Amino acid sequence: MATTVDPHGLDNTYDDASKRTPLVLGGLDYQGVTETACGFWEAEKAPKIWWILLLMAMSLLGILGGLVNHLLMSGVGVWGNNNPAYWGWPIVNFVFWVGIGHAGTLISAILFLFRQNWRTSINRAAEAMTIFAVVCAGMFPGIHIGRVWVFYWLFPIPTEHLAMWPNFRSPLLWDVFAVSTYATVSLLFWYMGMVPDIATFRDRTKSRVGKFIYGLLSLGWTGSARNWHRYEIAYTLLAALATPLVLSVHTIVSFDFAVSQLPGWHTTIFPPYFVAGAIFSGFAMVVTLLVPARALFGLEKLITMRHLENMNKIIMATGLMVGTAYGIEFFIAWYSGVQVESYAFWNRAFGNYSWAYWIMISCNVVIPQLFWFKWCRTTTWFMVIVCIFVNIGMWFERFVITITSLCRDFLPSSWAYFTPTWVDIGMLVCSFGLFSTLFLLFCRFLPVIAMAEVKGIMPRDGHH
Amino acid sequence: MAENTNKDADSKLIGLLGQFDDPESLVAACSQAREAGYKKMDAYSPFPVHGIDPAIGIKRTVLPLIVLGAALSAVVVGLGLQIYTNSSALDALAPFPGYPFKISGKPIFSIPANIPVTFEIIVLTSAITTFLGMWILNRLPMFANPLHRISRFKRVTNDKFFLCLEAKDEKFNRSASEDQLNKWGAVAIEEVRQDLTDNDLPKWIPTAAILGAICLLLPPAAIFSQWGQTNRHPRLHVVPDMDWQHKSKTQTMAVNLANGMDEVELMYADLRSARRPVDGAIAFGSLDTDSELNYGIKQDFAHTISSRKNMRASLSEDQEKPEVDAAAPAGEPTENMEQWVTTFPEGVEVTEDLLTRGQQRFNIYCAACHGYAGQGDGLVNQKALALAANGDATWTAARSLHDADVKGDAKNPVGRIYDTITNGRGNMGPYRAQIPVDDRWAIVAYVRALQETGLKSPSANTAGAGEAVADEAAGEEKAE
Repeated sequence: MATTVDPHGLDNTYDDASKRTPLVLGGLDYQGVTETACGFWEAEKAPKIWWILLLMAMSLLGILGGLVNHLLMSGVGVWGNNNPAYWGWPIVNFVFWVGIGHAGTLISAILFLFRQNWRTSINRAAEAMTIFAVVCAGMFPGIHIGRVWVFYWLFPIPTEHLAMWPNFRSPLLWDVFAVSTYATVSLLFWYMGMVPDIATFRDRTKSRVGKFIYGLLSLGWTGSARNWHRYEIAYTLLAALATPLVLSVHTIVSFDFAVSQLPGWHTTIFPPYFVAGAIFSGFAMVVTLLVPARALFGLEKLITMRHLENMNKIIMATGLMVGTAYGIEFFIAWYSGVQVESYAFWNRAFGNYSWAYWIMISCNVVIPQLFWFKWCRTTTWFMVIVCIFVNIGMWFERFVITITSLCRDFLPSSWAYFTPTWVDIGMLVCSFGLFSTLFLLFCRFLPVIAMAEVKGIMPRDGHH
Repeated sequence: MAENTNKDADSKLIGLLGQFDDPESLVAACSQAREAGYKKMDAYSPFPVHGIDPAIGIKRTVLPLIVLGAALSAVVVGLGLQIYTNSSALDALAPFPGYPFKISGKPIFSIPANIPVTFEIIVLTSAITTFLGMWILNRLPMFANPLHRISRFKRVTNDKFFLCLEAKDEKFNRSASEDQLNKWGAVAIEEVRQDLTDNDLPKWIPTAAILGAICLLLPPAAIFSQWGQTNRHPRLHVVPDMDWQHKSKTQTMAVNLANGMDEVELMYADLRSARRPVDGAIAFGSLDTDSELNYGIKQDFAHTISSRKNMRASLSEDQEKPEVDAAAPAGEPTENMEQWVTTFPEGVEVTEDLLTRGQQRFNIYCAACHGYAGQGDGLVNQKALALAANGDATWTAARSLHDADVKGDAKNPVGRIYDTITNGRGNMGPYRAQIPVDDRWAIVAYVRALQETGLKSPSANTAGAGEAVADEAAGEEKAE
């Protein structure tokens, strides 16, 4: 393993046309990569800060459990959902989380198909983040159905009690299929990618329990060339399957809105606009998580400044797409000549929810423009602040779409102003507890870096 | 086949493992081994090494074809699932009927609306096939691999590269192969030995497996034992949903009393769970202003009709009762024959259609006792009389409609027949709840037609409306 290098020397953000920019810094060899990536996992005791974060996350998770229990015992009336806004914060939170859950598969699958080698250092953490975000996302519609104990009515399972089947022409049913398929495929992709690295853990762990569990999870992996051959083809196949899947998921989530005939929802721009927004918020969440994680786990040589800068560039690009979509929506509302449609958008920007609209615009369109400046893209604490703003903005985007249109439906006598209850607010805040608990446990017990993949893209100069 | 048995009889030589320090020397060694004629060998590395497939001679896997097959069958399954569940097309073939959603007149099956679910099913099936297919083709999971017993081999998941020449290979020779590995640049060589001593399953595993299988069979066995059985207990509801609610239902006692609780709740002071209508309240659409049509009573006598419908319209409670009391038997109020309408009221036109309707209604409601020809020989009447003859029942025989004291305008004007159907007479019960006003008049018309045909005795062969049914009734009598 190479000696410690001054982190200020780890700048690979400048392109030198005469050679490939290294993606692994500090002169690490294969052994060095393994030891760096396993460093946090191999530490006898986790640092205090990890324990403090875990304690906070699990406290929030506990409160979330209590809130869900309160909801199940009392009914969905404990939320602010009421006529005319029957889709309140639960759906806003669902779309927010499922959007965040898009970056992982995008990094693993689409960047893999495009041979973007820099993905290897960040894909594992991003995939894990995807799965945990989908868990949070799945929770909200799950508890929104009211009678949770008959959740299986969502699936085409014959039941004597119900004696009917799901309506396959409904976008909400498509959503059930899209999200559950996405969760399953992401989990398979994540686990399959992790098996060689779990085998590394199996071969390095010293505890008996660890040997048993990692031995079981690594399925007896030996790194045989025949196995690698099939493994690589399977990985490419899964990437090729996950790419249209990841695009379909948020497309179908947008159908939940776009297929219904409500002004402000019934637009054809929704699918691409939702997908761009999902990538935007997902990358922002990856940066928000990885900047502290790389410092805490000592991964600066693997998750380099170039990786972060690349992600910031994607955030800026998708931010501009989202901004364009906001503009197009207004143009179409005017161009359609439909009074109700024009009013829906005028109301968004200047009605009684204008505060939410302008928070959305400033967080999603204005603030990411800072990434035009290299200093902003390459200063860790600053990019985290920008990314947090992006995710605040993306939450408000879903809030604006869902609430403003519902609160101004076709019957002016039913117009209302949506007010969340303490349960709404508590569930949103505490869903971060669920997410963080899962992510912190993942960081401690599973391979955060795809070691096998990083080793595969290291420059081959023959001698290490 | 070089089956090498070593001095150690407890283990078998599987192959020779040579270690290399970088991928290039591994690929070079693999090429040389292949040139030397080795076929059964494998290379092991911490990451996929490029160029190793041709070096060892690995053929391209069939996995993509398997996945393609799975994807194509998923198209059929996905579309088939939607056709079956959302239409009634396959009801005859499938165990559970479909459920066609009729929404805004949209087609039951439309390809565009069925694409998203089909697509997701294709992706899901293909992904699971890819995942499982890859592991199965790789013969994984396999935990008892002799390679894992070599401590040096642990670095294969870290930074070292290995080439294993298998003992099964025809070219394999313990010492010659070792020399070759050395020549190709292996930095270390180890024997891979399979331990033969622990080949047997641990003894507790078969026992545990059998016990586990028995335990798993218990729930289905319990379910099948109840198959087709009847049970007096209500079904077990794990989650009762809204099957039993804390509320009062019509025609029932309030829940608290029914549950044996004293506390009066969800209930009115008279212990009813619903309010009664105030006196004189008339249900929507039930305001009967035409006494001739609705009661068969002339307009002049309309004031005698009680507001309470379950009172017999024929009873006049105020003026007439004292006058007739003396003449009539005690407790049997006489009726004012003047009050009945003698012709069909306005709005009822006696046509053939009305008679046909009347016949049909008569056969449903009246013939059970009065017989199809109105001779008082209906099946219920016959059975009840037979029972009464044995002392098993009390029964007042149904009247024949052809009796002299029943027939005719003097005894039974149409209004009175109508009143008989509406409110019952003697032991006959009221039919106003079962038969609407128009149908009652249709029956009246049919009864008059039956009476006009003048049947004299049950077996008499008559012409007219009652002919066919009379024969039928006679036939039944003979059969008895």
